[in-house]
Amino acid sequence: MPPIDSEDQELLDGFLAETTELLEKLDDDLIALEKASDDTELMNRIFRSIHTIKGASSFLGFDLLVKVAHKTEDVLNRLRKGELVVNPEIMDVILEATDLVKLLVSDIKAGDIQERETEGTINKLLPYLLDNAGVSQQAAMTPQPLIQQVAPVESEIPAASDSPPPSPEATVTAESAVPQATDAIVVPSPKPSSDLVPKKSSAPPKPVEGKGGDDLSDNSTVRVDVKRLDDLMNQVGELVLERNRMIQINQDLQQSDINRPDFNEEFGKLTKRMSFVTSELQMQVLKMRMIPVEKVFKKFPRIVRSMARDLGKEVELQIIGEETELDRSVVDEIGDPLIHLIRNAMDHGLETPDVRLAAGKSRGGTLILAAVHEGNQIIISIKDDGNGIDTDRVGRKAIEKGLITEDQFTGMSQREVFDLLFLPGFSTKDKATDLSGRGVGMDVVKTNIKKLNGLIEIKSTKGLGSEFILRLPLTLAIIQSLLVEVEGEVYSIPLSSVLETIRVDQRQFHLIGGQEVLKLRDIVLPLVRLQKVFNVQQRGELDNFCYVVVVGAAEKRMGLIVTRLVGQQEVAIKSLGNYLANIPGIAGSTILGDGRVALIIDPVAMSEVCE
Amino acid sequence: MQNSLVPVKTDNTHDELIQLVSFNLDQEEYGVDVLKVREIIRMPIVTRVPNTPHYVEGVINLRGKVVPIICMRKKFGLIESENDKQTRIMVMDMEGELMGFIVDAVSEVIRISSSEIQPSPAMVAGGIDQECIAGVINQAERLLVLLNLEKMFSRDEKNLFTGM
Repeated sequence: MPPIDSEDQELLDGFLAETTELLEKLDDDLIALEKASDDTELMNRIFRSIHTIKGASSFLGFDLLVKVAHKTEDVLNRLRKGELVVNPEIMDVILEATDLVKLLVSDIKAGDIQERETEGTINKLLPYLLDNAGVSQQAAMTPQPLIQQVAPVESEIPAASDSPPPSPEATVTAESAVPQATDAIVVPSPKPSSDLVPKKSSAPPKPVEGKGGDDLSDNSTVRVDVKRLDDLMNQVGELVLERNRMIQINQDLQQSDINRPDFNEEFGKLTKRMSFVTSELQMQVLKMRMIPVEKVFKKFPRIVRSMARDLGKEVELQIIGEETELDRSVVDEIGDPLIHLIRNAMDHGLETPDVRLAAGKSRGGTLILAAVHEGNQIIISIKDDGNGIDTDRVGRKAIEKGLITEDQFTGMSQREVFDLLFLPGFSTKDKATDLSGRGVGMDVVKTNIKKLNGLIEIKSTKGLGSEFILRLPLTLAIIQSLLVEVEGEVYSIPLSSVLETIRVDQRQFHLIGGQEVLKLRDIVLPLVRLQKVFNVQQRGELDNFCYVVVVGAAEKRMGLIVTRLVGQQEVAIKSLGNYLANIPGIAGSTILGDGRVALIIDPVAMSEVCE
Repeated sequence: MQNSLVPVKTDNTHDELIQLVSFNLDQEEYGVDVLKVREIIRMPIVTRVPNTPHYVEGVINLRGKVVPIICMRKKFGLIESENDKQTRIMVMDMEGELMGFIVDAVSEVIRISSSEIQPSPAMVAGGIDQECIAGVINQAERLLVLLNLEKMFSRDEKNLFTGM
């Protein structure tokens, strides 16, 4: 491949940006196509994407890319013309080819163009391009004899031979059993040992998913709607006007007598207008930072599909509310936790078709991924209709691993048992698999969600399924906060983690093993004296009454004892700089209306400090 | 360039002119490279930050930026004194980050040629870490200790700040 000229850099950047966008969409479309193979509009869109990639890369001279894209395009073209029929095994090959394209593009992006092995994938595409590819057509159109012929070979899947003769649609839905059978028959040409073919076609995508998929998405630039930018300019214009007004008032004040009767009124008006313009401006800028959660969600259909095939499960993924917008900083962080939760649901939650049928459920499991706004938070839930969390099994494992004692377990509520899932090193699997079982997943989820000041909730009914609910703040730059006073010093607590505030008599506190606790309805709440943790000097007289701010950090609850509640305020988070970046219990700082700095309490870290 | 404040003997032919900001701390006079000083301000309200080393006075709001403040007297182990009208905060650029230092008074900007800087006497006892003394300037009527504040925090202290 030719070295890239610096003159061409601009072209190249454009190419990369466009291709990346197309590829991101492509995965999604391909999965959708598998489910709705007669959607011509979708088909055409996929075809156009690959065609565009091919055209642009041939213009820039990326030969390898052209070759792969070209062959993929050819296969897609035949699909489009109806010469081939969509079935899982064609999709496997096409997906593999797209993965290869992604890999090649990420190579180009990294400026490190390598000779990649493309022949394997291209060879897999070739059979579909032969004129007599009617073999595969036949396979899809008259699957009945083929399946029966192969079924004895796949003896470990009795369902394939027992089930009624599948129609072409059934070939698509009955992913787990049939594809392996058809693969073995249809693609014998490149590799003689037919068993290897299905494995080959499903294995390679995995490493690419992790690398190519993530590397491709570029976070350094944002596309902003021109209208939003215009609105922003308008608002800035207004702000300038208000500033001029303020200067004017100040001048008037300097020159004339301070007791000007209308000064108060004028200044009041100005303040109101200023605060209006600023909050509008704040909303606008916030909106520009918002991106739809779709950016993260759209890689999941692909992951779910390949996992379902690997695990021999039938899963329908429903995505709800993918247009929900949230701050880019949050979007960047939730990808990993969500993948872990989806893996968990697929691996631990949902059962294989046989088990499901035996339990009187439908063959295929449902996995619902939903995002919705609620006030200043976004709620993401991952819900499956699998077998739910077996609290006994979780308890036994935890005892086995020495994480808790027998006695502790018997006294545990359901919620406390669920909390065990988040302990590092915890896993109910006896053996670690590719997918899960190493006991790090939920720990990662907890850590990432904590970092975002989020909460996790687990709902589960044995036999009916479980739901993981993540509550996340919309943005990390400006937050709603509760200002509290601790013996004269003002601290800010993110409102997203505040559950309630109560005024209590200190005599109601109980002492358990040196730890102060409060009986709050049906829970026993551990208490933390901020005055003690922050070494604040006692000022004024000891008061029997104090305020307790109940905060939730991930799955934990605790009460912070403060002297006084000051009020609720929207605050901008300021970093404390590198030198003071890691003070335990402090997340950052903010500047109050009077210009003083107030520290923001990190409830999550606080719970760790106190452990 | 801040590292070349101590002249290497062989390089004496090239005499560089250096500007220093001089400040007072417990009757002694110190100097820092003027290019490192961002601004000099009076004492504002300082917000205490819990669980930090004793010489971290807290943080201040410097026109919308939150800047940590170090008390030089505490850092150097000198007797603490009340803040007065002369007390100033020197806001310095520390490897790209702003940091404020409380000093007794800031006197002037002086020009010296780099040849005037002598290496510091080998044994400087007391609280000042050897590391951050870049040299001394011995003029007729004054003795000025040249500091390199970027070296003021030992590796352990930096870890304390960032690795807690």
